[in-house]
Amino acid sequence: MGRRGHLGSDLVFGLSVLALFAAIALLAGVMAPYDPHAFSGQSLEQPSPAHPLGTNDAGQDILSELIYGARISLAVAVGAAVGTVALGTLVGGVAGTVGGWLDGLLMRLVDVLMTLPRLPLLILLTAFLGAGLAQTTAVIALLFWPATARVVRAQVQSVRRRGYVRMARNFGGGPGYVLRRHILPQIGPLLVSGLVTAAGRAVAMEAGLAFLGLGDPTAKSWGLMMRFALNLPGLLLTDRWLWWLLPPGLCVTLLILALTFTGMGLEEHLNPRLRRL
Amino acid sequence: MLRQVPRLASYLLTLWVVLTVNFLLPRLLPGDPLAALLDPQNSDYVFDAEVRAALESYYGLDRPLPVQYARYLAGAVSGDLGRSIRLNQPVGKLIRTHLPWTLLLTGTALTLASLLGLLGGTEAAWRRGTWRDRVLVTAGVVAGNAPVYFVGMMLLILFGARLGWLPLAGGRTPFAHYDTLPAAVADVGKHLLLPALTLTLTLVGGKFLLVRNNVVSVLGEDFMLVARAKGLPERRLKWAHALRNALLPFVAHLAAHAGQAITGAVFIETLFNYPGMGRLIFEAVGARDYPVIQGVFLVVSTVVLTANLLADELNTRLDPRLREA
Repeated sequence: MGRRGHLGSDLVFGLSVLALFAAIALLAGVMAPYDPHAFSGQSLEQPSPAHPLGTNDAGQDILSELIYGARISLAVAVGAAVGTVALGTLVGGVAGTVGGWLDGLLMRLVDVLMTLPRLPLLILLTAFLGAGLAQTTAVIALLFWPATARVVRAQVQSVRRRGYVRMARNFGGGPGYVLRRHILPQIGPLLVSGLVTAAGRAVAMEAGLAFLGLGDPTAKSWGLMMRFALNLPGLLLTDRWLWWLLPPGLCVTLLILALTFTGMGLEEHLNPRLRRL
Repeated sequence: MLRQVPRLASYLLTLWVVLTVNFLLPRLLPGDPLAALLDPQNSDYVFDAEVRAALESYYGLDRPLPVQYARYLAGAVSGDLGRSIRLNQPVGKLIRTHLPWTLLLTGTALTLASLLGLLGGTEAAWRRGTWRDRVLVTAGVVAGNAPVYFVGMMLLILFGARLGWLPLAGGRTPFAHYDTLPAAVADVGKHLLLPALTLTLTLVGGKFLLVRNNVVSVLGEDFMLVARAKGLPERRLKWAHALRNALLPFVAHLAAHAGQAITGAVFIETLFNYPGMGRLIFEAVGARDYPVIQGVFLVVSTVVLTANLLADELNTRLDPRLREA
């Protein structure tokens, strides 16, 4: 077992890849050779020094699209993760603190949302709300908060029953004080790994929706790149998939896996009892 | 019998929520259900006041909301899901031709993934800590989290396009006429192989990890020590004692994750042009065919909820302790 403070290999891998993608997203303006919307070449050019990954059917530089795509994936990831965890913490916190019929009602809602097939519901909501990055982010947060709510509620309930918390309340500690001093520090680690897990799911869902043609048609995301590539008849029969389809697919996969391994590593790091048996 | 009531009530409650969401969504959003039908962005439909009035009375939208709700519920219960705008066919009929393909795909993949997960998870737990176990755990995490559309694309490129072993798309050879039943089965099976393999790969990771961790925690139990002390053969220890006890959380997991297979199927059917419910909803989205999107959501939810209820019931049968509670 590693010492405390020693980062596991999962965490090192995850954080390094995340840092790489964050750097690409921040420096996209400097790194990308072209504006991803500019028609910088002929249609469907092969890779060349001018266009390292060739051009798409509209003559736009694929490498530039790929670099700017990191911004979209990370923005949706951060937005949806914060939304998911905030909603989940709010509902779970209220249910765990207030209890009674409100707790029963909220947990029923959690059960209902968790048993429904999420993707068809996601498709239905996106179809009616319209495709846009903000809508996609909001819908993902609206559908995926229940897992956080359940965990937060359980933890709040268990912390509230502990001796030192009862003591603090008996000595006149108000609800706000107890929340700040005792409950938040106990659910903090849960929220951190919840954020990372939610971010990974959001990246997969955003790219997936764009892949299904339900993404923001103006935002050049990795999912949309895959959609357009696959729309080209006979794409798989030439080598074109190598520089058009494979790079965005690899980027999405790598980002999701980085978030997954970061989440696992964080959980182990914050809760040594979870270390792999 | 009384203890079945809460589960069944929760099932019916969820079903009711699905029905109500389906009813309210088009009515809560800007415009009304006809705004979706007569979408100005859609080149197929022309806005026409007369057509609109006719449609309004046809769909009963000129009646008060509670009446509409009652009619909608009655229609849904009797299997009337409206008509597809794109194909001008009853949604119920479309679903009847697409649902069997999805059931075939998800059923095959769930069975394969469960078997592999149970066998692999138990074996990995038995060898916990070895390099083989570590490789399997990492592979399980990667397979379970890599996006299904990417996994499918890679398999499609490798086996479909490069090697040419398997068909690129579809559920069977177009316009095929089968002389014998085995020929039909072989053709359907050949088309099923790649999509089912993709879905199995994405489902097996989570199941493998779950079984492995459950078996590892069972290994420390007293009854395992007793069984070993009795001198039972290794094989019996592994399968009759360790796996038997790790089976319960596995069935509970199956119940809770029935929807996961559907998510995978939507992407896979889109990618492989497989004629199931996922393909149907994808095409409906492209054509803004709202009745179909809603119908697919309703039917898929009902199937998932029923699978959920059945797995719950199975779990009660398997675990005597749950029966007492």
